[in-house]
Amino acid sequence: MEGNSYLPQLARVVDIHEEVPGERAIKTFRLEFIDGDGFSHKCGQCAMLSIFGRGESMISIASSPLVHGYKQFSIMRAGRVTSAFHELAVGALVGIRGPFGNSFPVNDWHGKHLVFIGGGCGLAPIWPVIQTAVTKREDFGDITVFYGGRSPRDIMYRSELEKLRGAAEVYLSVDSPEDGWEEFCGFVPANLMEKEPSPEDAIAITCGPPAMIKFVIKNLHALGFQDEQIYTTVENKMKCGIGKCGRCNLGKDYVCTKGPVYSWADLKELPQEY
Amino acid sequence: MERILDKGRLGALVAALADWTVLAPALQDGLWAYRPVAGGEASLTLGHPNTVQPPKGQSFPQREVFFTFDETPDGQPRLTPLVPRPAPRVVFGVRPCDGQGLTHLDQVFGEEAPDAYYQARRGTLAYVGLACNSPPSRHCFCTCVGGSPFGEAGLDVLMIDLSDRYLVRALTPVGEALMTAGQGVLTEAGAQDRAEAQQRRLAALAHPQRAVAAPQAVPERLKAGFGSALWERLAQPCIGCGICTFLCPTCHCFDINDEVASQSPVCGSRVRTWDSCQFPDFTMHTSGHNPRPDLGARLRQRVSHKFQYYFENHGVFQCTGCGRCITACPVGIDIVTVVNQVAAEAAAMQPADS
Repeated sequence: MEGNSYLPQLARVVDIHEEVPGERAIKTFRLEFIDGDGFSHKCGQCAMLSIFGRGESMISIASSPLVHGYKQFSIMRAGRVTSAFHELAVGALVGIRGPFGNSFPVNDWHGKHLVFIGGGCGLAPIWPVIQTAVTKREDFGDITVFYGGRSPRDIMYRSELEKLRGAAEVYLSVDSPEDGWEEFCGFVPANLMEKEPSPEDAIAITCGPPAMIKFVIKNLHALGFQDEQIYTTVENKMKCGIGKCGRCNLGKDYVCTKGPVYSWADLKELPQEY
Repeated sequence: MERILDKGRLGALVAALADWTVLAPALQDGLWAYRPVAGGEASLTLGHPNTVQPPKGQSFPQREVFFTFDETPDGQPRLTPLVPRPAPRVVFGVRPCDGQGLTHLDQVFGEEAPDAYYQARRGTLAYVGLACNSPPSRHCFCTCVGGSPFGEAGLDVLMIDLSDRYLVRALTPVGEALMTAGQGVLTEAGAQDRAEAQQRRLAALAHPQRAVAAPQAVPERLKAGFGSALWERLAQPCIGCGICTFLCPTCHCFDINDEVASQSPVCGSRVRTWDSCQFPDFTMHTSGHNPRPDLGARLRQRVSHKFQYYFENHGVFQCTGCGRCITACPVGIDIVTVVNQVAAEAAAMQPADS
């Protein structure tokens, strides 16, 4: 129905890829709208996904806006709705509404070096930016991707990360090493300090667990990054997506409309209620 | 358009509004609530102080089905949206604070992506206000938050009690239509009626009320007082019942959930229900992390939203001074006291503020 923001469109699950196994499993779902092309989106925007009878969950759109015909979502099994997603098989029909929120100002970053710092399932919200940057490689300076998980099995997008090498410097890390792991052992912020990316003409984009983000920002400051050079996303609980239901607010902002993307210069002015 | 309505002819006016369903405050089980009234109801009076609940439920009901879902025989989800198409309704006896509250609901549900359900209900609603000759509650504080006992915001008609009659004033085209429909019951207003109404207004404005001190400084002072220990101390008795938000004419927070009638085949409804920032799970993430983990943070959210955040976005307070949250709070938390204490502390800590 035209003009009814609460009514989802239907989309079909056309592919399911298991990214991370275990208790905190992550699966990537490829969804195709069953009725036309659905909506287009920008890097950093989210969509509200439904399983009818279970409810809705706000999930970052993990596919690039440059890709048409489908959208991808990487979903960690956590609550009622996300657990139901993990039970789905290819062919299932789900609800989708959106896109919601603002976006990363990627066009303002032409000519800049981009430093991505992700942890856990926090790679998904910044993945569209990474994809856009490597697709339009000549528009940007150096591209560096830091990413870490608890163990080698917790590294999502493993094969896609490997494909980035060449177009980007990729620095992986794990908190707890296992035999055969040849990259950095330790937390993502520590890996960042070891590689020391330059703040010169650079933008840092970070997403991950709140504790990781806190130390990443501290370390970026130590490396000389200014507040205006640091971007992150805020993941508060959401229901409506259109600035009405009230629960995702940070001070005067509803994250679902004014966020989820913030520069640290803007975010540090808001209440730390995330 | 201004006319006179004899108090004894209120029922006749309702009868004349045949194209509208009329709601008015009625005393039921000791509580004033908006109820449908039949035309010509001789006993109809507007004797209420204020209703226990504001009229917000008329456009934003406590529970509302967005759509139903079921499965077609081949297992596909089928959605049936239930956007209402209500017949015209008019609500009588709305106090000016609650009229003001409607303007805030209209703002929230009209901005960004307009809310189809709210708009559908609101589009066929009219509000007939009743000015307050004296504060209907000892907790009233409308005048310090930008309101007035004779305020007209959000209303289509304002009625002013002149003892044996009302001066009836149309404020919008819908109000004009209502008065045109009731013209057989209304009589011309004269200079004496207008003078009397003006006297009542001046007397009402002079009536002492409780007050938020230095309201123009409150948004900045609350911002400065975000980290104050007062929030936790003042929230200490709170039991998290949420009555302050449920009875508030401007609180608009809600939850959306699926109510399931059958799992196989799947069949149920997606439902909006009022929710409250005073509930612990309102902001709790699936991980268990809660950005507003305690009573102090939740009291601060309620108060700061009304007196700082909404002001930063819209230049007005999202509190209309109706006093319901004070009257109904089972542990005596008083929003006027909370604002004044936090603002005073912040002012004292910021001498440059003066």
